[in-house]
Amino acid sequence: MPLNSSASARLRLNFHHHETKLAALLLVLGMALAATAPRFFSTVNLALLARSMGVLLIVSAGMLNVVLAGGIDVSAGAILAVVSVVLVRLGNHGLPASIVLPVGLLTGAGLGAVNAALIAELRIPPIVATLGTAGLFRGLLLEWTQGEWESSIPSWLNAIGSPRWGGLDVSVLAAVLVMLAAAWILDRTQMGRALFRFGDSPLAAARTGISVRQPVYFAYISLGLLTAIGAVFYAAQLGAVQGNAANGYELTVIAAVVLGGADILGGRGSLLGTFLGVLLLCSLQQALVLLHVATFWQNIATGAIVLIGVILSSTPRLGRKLILRQSPSP
Amino acid sequence: MTASASASQEKFRNPAPKFSKSKRMMELRQSGSLQPGVVILLVLFFCIYAGYRSGDFWSALNWQLLAQPLAEAGLVSLGMMFVIATGGIDLSVGSIVGVAAVTAGIAAHHRLPVPAIEASALTAGALCGALNGLLIGVLRLSAILVTLGSMILFSGVALALSEGSSFAGFPDGLLWWNDATLLGIPVEFLLFLATAAAAAVLLRYSLWGHYAIAIGSNRVAASYSGYPVALTLFGVYTLQGLLCGMTGILLVARLASARADMGQGLMLMAIAAVVLGGAPIEGGSASVIATVAGVAAFYIVQDGLLLLDVPPFVQHALTSVLLLVAVAAGVLLRGSRENQR
Repeated sequence: MPLNSSASARLRLNFHHHETKLAALLLVLGMALAATAPRFFSTVNLALLARSMGVLLIVSAGMLNVVLAGGIDVSAGAILAVVSVVLVRLGNHGLPASIVLPVGLLTGAGLGAVNAALIAELRIPPIVATLGTAGLFRGLLLEWTQGEWESSIPSWLNAIGSPRWGGLDVSVLAAVLVMLAAAWILDRTQMGRALFRFGDSPLAAARTGISVRQPVYFAYISLGLLTAIGAVFYAAQLGAVQGNAANGYELTVIAAVVLGGADILGGRGSLLGTFLGVLLLCSLQQALVLLHVATFWQNIATGAIVLIGVILSSTPRLGRKLILRQSPSP
Repeated sequence: MTASASASQEKFRNPAPKFSKSKRMMELRQSGSLQPGVVILLVLFFCIYAGYRSGDFWSALNWQLLAQPLAEAGLVSLGMMFVIATGGIDLSVGSIVGVAAVTAGIAAHHRLPVPAIEASALTAGALCGALNGLLIGVLRLSAILVTLGSMILFSGVALALSEGSSFAGFPDGLLWWNDATLLGIPVEFLLFLATAAAAAVLLRYSLWGHYAIAIGSNRVAASYSGYPVALTLFGVYTLQGLLCGMTGILLVARLASARADMGQGLMLMAIAAVVLGGAPIEGGSASVIATVAGVAAFYIVQDGLLLLDVPPFVQHALTSVLLLVAVAAGVLLRGSRENQR
């Protein structure tokens, strides 16, 4: 089986490429929107769309690393909540941003390292390990906050979240930077290439001299770090956080990555696909709001689009691929 | 007796560990059936401690109150056991429970008789499960991806059906499921035990159970052996949907109301219970007794922590730690994964 396109944006007009299918799906959605809600393409709305994509894009870039390594992380929502509460609480105590931000990012990376250690050292299957840590992180966070809201955020955090540059805010800039950095890492560094090889087959990767631990640590710690970066903008945009924040957010993130064509068994996926997946999910949600559709229909539409994406991503394999790899974990 | 039904398949997959002490020990290691033993032992110690610290722990009322949510989560866990045995996973169970509960609510709203209410909830659950089964079994899509999508889809369906509101005013006949007891045991719990017994028979003595385990062990081999892979998977997910429908009815009866988000949390609980019982998440092995032990362990520990005045959020964290410790112990007991391959 030929390797799928890598992280670089090599878009050929080949309908077997998942990215091409996604782009076609986006085009159809765009045309439908142009007919029904032309307001969607106003600059104000497009700026809003970009702002709503920022956090999801940043966290999804991290989740792509984990999925490429053949893992999954359902504790990302809990990590996002922990970091945003840490940021806001420390900030409200009067600590300056130069201390609070590094502490927040370190917290995220540390929690990611806990996941990685459980998976790489204790060899717990990723979904079980992160299921456990999700409950653990969330429980401890709720005990710390006692379920109370932090209803005010420090002024510097507020400044990060406020729109500038014609409706865009810092989260859009950060998302662009994160995507560029991730593309460089996945495509041009040894670690990035090792991630693909390890996810494709941990055993083969080990035989060619790739460590069986390093890619796991890299994937989960990078997800923790990117989730922490996402948490900064999450808290900044919302203006208030509580222990139950971002409940189920990890599933949206996984949905975006999967919609982007990443193979859940590892080894295949692209950053471009992930970007298109996030764009599709967010523009669909934005469009339904513009069309005054009741919230519960948004879930139906999102679920349907994820299922369509899953079906699309496996059509070339439907006839041939029967092999279900036993365990994608190390 | 708790030896998993897949011991024979496991033997082919696992070369013998190098440092096993005795043959019996080796067999236990290979089947992974040591883990439910560890869990039961841990929970027994915990029960003794909790009984010593809190006088209410061994009271009949405590166990009656404990048995009802245990039965609800237990039904979903039994379905999840079959799903995980085939090497799949079902993330949509919570949403299916919501759909079933809301369907029961609508049926009750139209003043249908009790059997019709129950039948409509069961049908709704089974239909949702059948959609999963169609996509996973027949179209051969990845279980985790399909059920991730259908989880979002079904929660939307449940919300749309209920228009975001909750239903009340259920007939007494339906609430019977909550109120009735037999010899002091809630009927909900008896229903769970009966279902567990049926599931054990299905798993151990039916061809279908054999197919399910075989698919989980090696789907390609099962397919080449002429096993009906698509049909078996379709059945597994439909059964899961049906069990979710039952859970929906029981939840409605206990809470005397129906809401779309009723099944929240059941998905993680069910997966955790099956895994806590020692079933490998990769599939190919299942045991009803281990699953029941897993789900009971969760609820007993949670209830005990409550009586020990542990803060509620810490209880949540501690049950997660229980899952991690039990699974890590299970992995260590089974030997390293290199040995398994």
